[in-house]
Amino acid sequence: MNETSEKKYSLEIFPKEIEELKNTIKTASTKIMEEYIERMRKTWPDRPEEMQYFDEIAKFWGTREKEIVEAREEGKKVIGYTCMFAPIELILAAGAIPVRVSSGLYDPVKLGNRVVPVEVCPVVRSTIGVKMVGLSPYLELSDALITSLTCDGMTKLSEILSDYKPVWTLCPPRLKDSEQSISFWKEELKAVKEKIEKLTGTKITSSKLKSAIERLHRATRAFRRLQDLRKGNPVIMGRDAMLVNQTLMWDDVERWTQKTEKLCDELERRAQGKVWACPLKTPRVMIAGTPIIWPDNWKLPNLVEEANPQGVIVADELCSGDRFLYDPVGVDEWTMEDMFNAVADRYLLPSTCPCFTSEDGNEDRVNWIKARVEERRVDGVVYHVYRGCMLYAMEYMRIKKVLDKINVPVYYLDTDYTREDVGQIKTRVEAFLEMLKSRVEF
Amino acid sequence: MLLEIISELLKLTIFAGLALAGILAILIWKKNLTTKVTYLRTFVQVVAMIAFFYIFSYTTWLLLILVVIFAISIVLGRFFCGWLCPFGLYLDLVAVIRKTLNTRYWSLPEKLNRSLHILRYLLLVFFIVLPFMLGPIEAWQWSLAKFLMGPFKPISVLLGPVEPLIIPWESPLKLYGLSFSYPYASIITFYSGENFALINTFIFMALTLASSFVVRRFWCRFCPTGASLAIVNRFRVFKWIPFLRLSKVEEKCTKCGICKRVCPVQVTDVYEQKGGDITTSMCMLCLRCVEMCPYEDCLKLSMAGKTLFKSRNWLEPSKIT
Amino acid sequence: MIVAGLDMGVQNVKVAIIKDGEPISYGLVPSGFEPEKAAEQAFKQALEKAEIAFSDIEHVAVTGVGVELAPRVDSKLSIISADAKAAVYLYPSVRTVIDVGAEESRVINCSEKGTVLDFTLNERCAAGAGAFLEAMARALEMKIEDMGMLSLKAAGTVSISATCVIFGESDVVSLIHKQEPKHEIARAIYDALAERITSMVHRVGLKPDVVLVGGVAKDVGFAAALKRKLETEIIIPKNPEFAGALGAALYALENAGGKLK
Repeated sequence: MNETSEKKYSLEIFPKEIEELKNTIKTASTKIMEEYIERMRKTWPDRPEEMQYFDEIAKFWGTREKEIVEAREEGKKVIGYTCMFAPIELILAAGAIPVRVSSGLYDPVKLGNRVVPVEVCPVVRSTIGVKMVGLSPYLELSDALITSLTCDGMTKLSEILSDYKPVWTLCPPRLKDSEQSISFWKEELKAVKEKIEKLTGTKITSSKLKSAIERLHRATRAFRRLQDLRKGNPVIMGRDAMLVNQTLMWDDVERWTQKTEKLCDELERRAQGKVWACPLKTPRVMIAGTPIIWPDNWKLPNLVEEANPQGVIVADELCSGDRFLYDPVGVDEWTMEDMFNAVADRYLLPSTCPCFTSEDGNEDRVNWIKARVEERRVDGVVYHVYRGCMLYAMEYMRIKKVLDKINVPVYYLDTDYTREDVGQIKTRVEAFLEMLKSRVEF
Repeated sequence: MLLEIISELLKLTIFAGLALAGILAILIWKKNLTTKVTYLRTFVQVVAMIAFFYIFSYTTWLLLILVVIFAISIVLGRFFCGWLCPFGLYLDLVAVIRKTLNTRYWSLPEKLNRSLHILRYLLLVFFIVLPFMLGPIEAWQWSLAKFLMGPFKPISVLLGPVEPLIIPWESPLKLYGLSFSYPYASIITFYSGENFALINTFIFMALTLASSFVVRRFWCRFCPTGASLAIVNRFRVFKWIPFLRLSKVEEKCTKCGICKRVCPVQVTDVYEQKGGDITTSMCMLCLRCVEMCPYEDCLKLSMAGKTLFKSRNWLEPSKIT
Repeated sequence: MIVAGLDMGVQNVKVAIIKDGEPISYGLVPSGFEPEKAAEQAFKQALEKAEIAFSDIEHVAVTGVGVELAPRVDSKLSIISADAKAAVYLYPSVRTVIDVGAEESRVINCSEKGTVLDFTLNERCAAGAGAFLEAMARALEMKIEDMGMLSLKAAGTVSISATCVIFGESDVVSLIHKQEPKHEIARAIYDALAERITSMVHRVGLKPDVVLVGGVAKDVGFAAALKRKLETEIIIPKNPEFAGALGAALYALENAGGKLK
């Protein structure tokens, strides 16, 4: 994108204001990140040492930023993505670094409000704000962005971001099951693949793609191992597991895999020694709904696990959490075409994003939640929705009816990217946990 | 006499040894742990092939085999097609060659695939029922019926895929004193003019092998022999009969589509149906889907209610080994 | 045994005292700017009525938004659990509790033991709670107590929307300009609030019997409107505003190991 091209959406901000805002938000957020990690340590006093690595990576303006800057100087490309529809395998196969750029910072929302109305989903507003002042290192460092036209917010966000960076859109079909949907989706991915190849100057050969798929298989294995550990009595607090999931968004995949496997080894030892992270009668909570993104938006997990009575998050149904890397790419034959088809299937078919619909009413998502509830012995579900997130909000009733049938309470919690409503939400979360607690004891 | 028996046994042993060596070579060469069931299946197929050769050499009552196959199919479903049929093995070997050459396969459009499945029944009717129905009406039709029924003389059409590569009776292709054959070759020979028997057989061979090179197990998609259980499974009344069943747990399925993609005959029911019993007439129970399903306990094969084999998180190394 | 329940509400601080398994006295003081002091005042009120000293109280359970500001906390519980406890204690057949407070309204489904089965709160907006009525009374330039009685005379010819206090107020002003009778406007106001509460009730499910508690329950206009909208009988206890405090007191009794009479 050249500098002279007309800006379609974005507003001019004085460089001085940018500097000022950037510094204030950066200082505030750094402090908050440290505070949150400290609070996580406090809730779980014998937090394993292995978590320190993830704390380090979780720091937004820190080691990982430096690494990416260095890699970029060596000629590596960075490709950002907003939704989990972006094919990480293809990015890795081309030797580029994938980073997720959806923002979880609260303060930039106010800047986003200058461009779009307050009714818009705060993730979108925050991402716009972050871009306006160049706050997120990962968004700034990416050479191109892969955006997915999932919900309305994300669709227009990709237009707004195209003011600043080359944006490649991926349009997932609203219906997944038909042959034409899948062939359409494959065409979409093929176009993105070609763009990735052009940007990086690397041809994605079958051996490169195979190695990328295998690398992610190992990561998925570690990821699923961590999730499976949350099935039994709690050996890890939910917030910590969520942090591990989140760091994958910008960390080096192979190193992340190693560290996660190490963490899992430690946790398995603890499970054998019957060392639990919290009392066994703690209500087991699942968070469903709109993605929760580190760093600022740790409000709900904090509230659940620090509440009185305390709860423990054993599962979530967030595209920034348990769903992120749960499904492996299932390759039948290691030919280029089959690998590509497998990658395409992996990103479209098992996704339980509410942007999809089907004759049976997005049954995939219902089944995902039901399976999780049963497998992780969930006592109650907190349905987390942002103001302006229509799809998740509208699907609440569908989920509630299903959960009512299997006698699992669910609480609808709507919030925004603000710190002011913590008190209000606290009352609600605590009441819900009290209710779960009385059911657990009963 | 004794010498003959010993030479026969020797032949068998050499053949079995060769086949096993081939399988082992593939195993060592492609050390992909996730494809264990496929290896086991290939092994069973080879053993079955040898068994059929043996049966063909020593039994004159070939139709009995057909009866046995159908009887097995009623209880085991199309297990025969996936695990025992020698023709299936040849087509699978073609797929192995294709994989070695790193060439892709093509999938048929779902609709075409389904109509091919229906073609199976038409062929079945054509070869079995039609001759008998035509028979009694007119004299000239009787000769047509006899012509169509002809295959019953050497072996039936439905026994075609079981026909061994080396047959104990005369065939147009003779090398080193052995009569070589190919599935359906006897039938083709019966219908062909004397001079064309060999050519027609080669054409058929080329067609089936080439089509399977492009589309996985192309012949199996409309082979009339495979209709056996298909008939039983078609009607809900008989749903209770086969006790080898494939089932799916609805909640555990994320509809990731792997089962649909890896199926060599492109069965869509495993993917599309919500849960419970998903055994269908198109499925030949090769279990590739169960093997590739990455979700613990989602798909399973059960026999009379007892689980034989189920899907698991194949990212983890197998605990059974 | 003497125990107390303290409800640190947004507008009022309420105290309930239970002696020998029976509620004996209540106290209510507006929260104002110093809820700590208000709490002490409320205690004083209740204690004077019951003629007991503060030190005689064995256990104080606190509920409400301002738990951190309470002068003495032996145990805490949420206002939702407190409401459910109080409602089932007062009327054992109650399964649905509607609590309309100053800035928060809640609908609770409870079991026969007083445990919460399901609940919902008004969305982050005061239009679903008592503050809405206050703003509307101000717009009509009348006391909130009179507005209730006045509304009973109306036939229900006009309506307003209650999406938001501010928009509601402008709706009322435009009705005034149209010279609609005051009692009709008053009824429209109550209907709008009742409509919002009704949708909350249906979200958790309406299970008889229904009890209405919280400060707004004392408003006859609102009670009548809610009855119309829900099409069911509604029980209103004698002191509806003390439900939270009473529930907390019952919880304190449980914790202190006391028994109900």
